[in-house]
Amino acid sequence: MTAGPITAQAHPWRGFYWLCRRECHRVIRLWTQTTLAPVVSSLLFIVVFGLSLGGRINQIDGFDYEIFIVPGLVAMAMAQAAYSNNASTIFQGRSDRFIDDVLAAPMHAWQMNLGYLVGGAFRALLIGGALAALAAPITGAPVEHPLLLLVALLLLVTGFGSLGTIVGIYAESFDHTSFINNIVILPLTFLGGVFYSVDRLGSPWEEISHANPLFYVVDAVRYGFLGTSDVGAAISFAVLAAMALALYAWAQYLFTSGRKLKP
Amino acid sequence: MQRPTNQALELRSLSKRYDDGTLALDALDLDVPAGRFFGLLGPNGAGKTTLISAVCNLVRPSAGELRVFGHPADCLEARRLVGVAEQEPNLDRFLTVYETLLYHGGYFGMERHEAEGRAEQMIDVFDLRAKREVRAPKLSGGMRRRLLLARALLHEPRLVILDEPTAGVDVELRHELWRYICRLHEQGTTILLTTHYLEEAEVLCEEIALIGGGRIIARDTADGLKERYDAASLEQVYLKTVASGRLAEEVA
Repeated sequence: MTAGPITAQAHPWRGFYWLCRRECHRVIRLWTQTTLAPVVSSLLFIVVFGLSLGGRINQIDGFDYEIFIVPGLVAMAMAQAAYSNNASTIFQGRSDRFIDDVLAAPMHAWQMNLGYLVGGAFRALLIGGALAALAAPITGAPVEHPLLLLVALLLLVTGFGSLGTIVGIYAESFDHTSFINNIVILPLTFLGGVFYSVDRLGSPWEEISHANPLFYVVDAVRYGFLGTSDVGAAISFAVLAAMALALYAWAQYLFTSGRKLKP
Repeated sequence: MQRPTNQALELRSLSKRYDDGTLALDALDLDVPAGRFFGLLGPNGAGKTTLISAVCNLVRPSAGELRVFGHPADCLEARRLVGVAEQEPNLDRFLTVYETLLYHGGYFGMERHEAEGRAEQMIDVFDLRAKREVRAPKLSGGMRRRLLLARALLHEPRLVILDEPTAGVDVELRHELWRYICRLHEQGTTILLTTHYLEEAEVLCEEIALIGGGRIIARDTADGLKERYDAASLEQVYLKTVASGRLAEEVA
């Protein structure tokens, strides 16, 4: 006897919701490691570099030094958080193979990619929010363009969260995930003008700094906070958006094709 | 695209060659009728786990066609219909026993209250109540195996795949498990079992396929296989077919 195919109601949005929830749950469960530590270390930068040494440094772009460094530190902390979160959650899932439970589930590939991204964004926005809330009363840093700041931060977490996803998928060991953070993201962020304005460097270092993609990340976030930009806000936002979209598309390709995730 | 069928699984010329060149499935054809308790027996490296992983969308086949209840295996409807307990426990290290089950139900599209109720039910069925709030890495091997089985069955799949579910499991759990699985089978669930315990397969499976070198070597009921190969037990059939083939390959 031949019957019609058994129909099953797949509810991919429920799967997506539970994947987002799992990723946020992980961030909260490990809150001392995922949230508290980065907030404390960034706050120490503000206190040590800003308040202690700031008095000896002239204003930059019309802002006291302790105010000038806040946007860059927020951007750096959020970029590292979004990256580390996704790199570690995906690498652990692959290493222990519990990611199979997600890959076998009735969810679209784009929902899996976005679900993991939500976890990184959640962690980064928690840290960014806490830092901004603590730094504002200490330094008096303003928020000149709140909507543009929000756009810059969303592009930032999309880009760095996606980078974490990509590295988490390709990594063969935990060393690979921390290598990218320590050898690529951290130095490039420092050299991207977190603690100084690159137009003070002079040629050729100023031009070399413009080849650093992290410079545009810091510059866009700084424009949202302080309303000042080294190269023009439109250029910084365009570079940041292009970087975020390219990295997101790469991560999506890996989920859609199953490359490295499924042998 | 769906097509009418009475098969739980339809594999047509399914091949899988891994990046290192290993040919795990070699143009394999297999039908598993809906509602059947089906055994898949073969030595390590025969292609059993690759076949199972392909059905569960965890391996990308190199060629061929794979359908689950008439749906292409990679479509969402097919994935909702399959539950798998993999050979090695692969449990989320950040979740407790209860959360592992609840989140799995969520991933597979269950409503929250439905997943909550079902998680509690499976905790009782697999005697995990005392470990409800314990995270997976802190469970003993036997408890992890129980949780793995509970997770595979949580979303009430129509096709349950058990990849060596009783390996390293105590007698008590083995009996409990088979009692529960037999009850599910009586209710119409299709079971695909791989095991190295041939006596288990002989007792439980309505039909058995022997796999070797990525191909189906023989397929019949346990009695049919014994008759065909003039053997007194399934173990003898296994030795005459799969094991002798492997021995011949090794000698060659």
